[in-house]
Amino acid sequence: MDTFTFKGTVTYSVYRQLLKHFVSLVSTIGDTVTYGAEVIKHLLKCSVDRKVLIEQCARFGVSSLPITLSIVGMSTVIVAMQVAGEMVKQGAGNFVGLLVTMLVVREEAIIMSGFAIISMIGSSLASEVATMRVTEQIDAITVLKVNPIEYLFVPRVLSGILMMPLVLIVASLFGIIGGGVAAHLASGLSYKAYFDSVWNGLYMKDMNVALLKAVVFGFTIALVSCTCGYNATGGAKGVGEATTKAVVWSFVAIVIWDLVFSIIFFF
Amino acid sequence: MGIEVKNLIKSFGKNTVIDDLSFKVNNGEILAIVGFSGSGKSTVLKLISGLIQKDSGEIITTGDIAMVFQYSALIDSLNVYENISFALHERKDLRKKYTESEIKKIVREKLGLVGLTGIELKYPSELSGGMQKRVSFARAIVTEPQIILYDEPTAGLDPMSSTLIEDYIVRLKQETNAASIVVTHQMSTISRTADKVLMLYGGKCVFYGTPDELCRQETPYTKQFVSASLEGPMKMLKG
Repeated sequence: MDTFTFKGTVTYSVYRQLLKHFVSLVSTIGDTVTYGAEVIKHLLKCSVDRKVLIEQCARFGVSSLPITLSIVGMSTVIVAMQVAGEMVKQGAGNFVGLLVTMLVVREEAIIMSGFAIISMIGSSLASEVATMRVTEQIDAITVLKVNPIEYLFVPRVLSGILMMPLVLIVASLFGIIGGGVAAHLASGLSYKAYFDSVWNGLYMKDMNVALLKAVVFGFTIALVSCTCGYNATGGAKGVGEATTKAVVWSFVAIVIWDLVFSIIFFF
Repeated sequence: MGIEVKNLIKSFGKNTVIDDLSFKVNNGEILAIVGFSGSGKSTVLKLISGLIQKDSGEIITTGDIAMVFQYSALIDSLNVYENISFALHERKDLRKKYTESEIKKIVREKLGLVGLTGIELKYPSELSGGMQKRVSFARAIVTEPQIILYDEPTAGLDPMSSTLIEDYIVRLKQETNAASIVVTHQMSTISRTADKVLMLYGGKCVFYGTPDELCRQETPYTKQFVSASLEGPMKMLKG
């Protein structure tokens, strides 16, 4: 009779894959923390290549804006269209602006902007750095005695920190205005009634927390994306894997951050 | 003295890639490291340049190290001028040493050394493989290194471009008096550039001598390498 071996079974390969992903997660977290500490050290020394910083800011802020505005705008319009009619019917039309504003400022704008920026900028950062890794460009930088973390990470992470709050402000304004237009078209709610209640939904604390979140999200997305690209191995397959990893871990990281912020500020 | 390697050992997992390797390269001398693919040639360069860490042994080097990579490794987001001047702009100890006009002069001079002019504003993707290689030579020598490492400098080039690159390797040796290591398996590169040849197999040195001694095929290893035979003491890894 054949002896049963666990090795080679489907369960074995599932556990093996899970273990592989767990090891990869732990190693990504470890590397992200290590590189993050080095980036912060360089930022505190104001050691940043200005030319690269300007290029990266344009990429982070300007290139990502159309997709960010589309996503934030459309998701707010959908919410406003769905709630405005019902609220007007129930005699709560004066609270539509308040509801949309609180939703946009507290959660929607930052999370949707984060997702848009991860998809567009995070993936491109990761694939760019990963391509530099697999084509030995990072090795060349190292041999030329230039610190690759300082040259590659610092301007990209700083552009994330600087541009994410600006993107958030523009996206939030766009979302709130779009919500007003949608509410007017869907329920006939007057613009005056909508924008009067917008002011009631704007809290200084919410705006400060949203801006703080934007800084942290911008830092995290750029850092995780650069780290995944920097640790790429192999050729084209390695670049693809690094990009996927960067997108997945950035998504996970910003949702965890969002939870942490909610617990700290709103629990 | 340029480079001295003593009892160098490097393993990746259970696989020992470099096994107790020792050699010396003096200033103004070119050592060709040869061997079949996977014999550890490029690993030696990465160990000397500090890209990977050794397990044990000693690597003694004097002065700056520059490396010319197999596929040039030019930074593709930078143009030729920015690539060559990269170390002068970005390296901490050189950042403020030169003015922009001095850097322009240095870049022009180094480009001239490798026979190129007027391509400063072109990007790597706009250059041929041979030109990219020559730009990477110019980038490597911009900091006046005392050690130059070449990783398969003529791989993938046509015979005329290979000859041109080989001439530049010899010319750079004469101009800079640097200690150089050329990793190659092309006989033309060995005979045209090298003063000494070191053959690696299984991470160990199996031949050390002059290019003439290599061509005389007096040992089973040199005989197999020069005749490119599958029969002999060196076994290729089965695919």
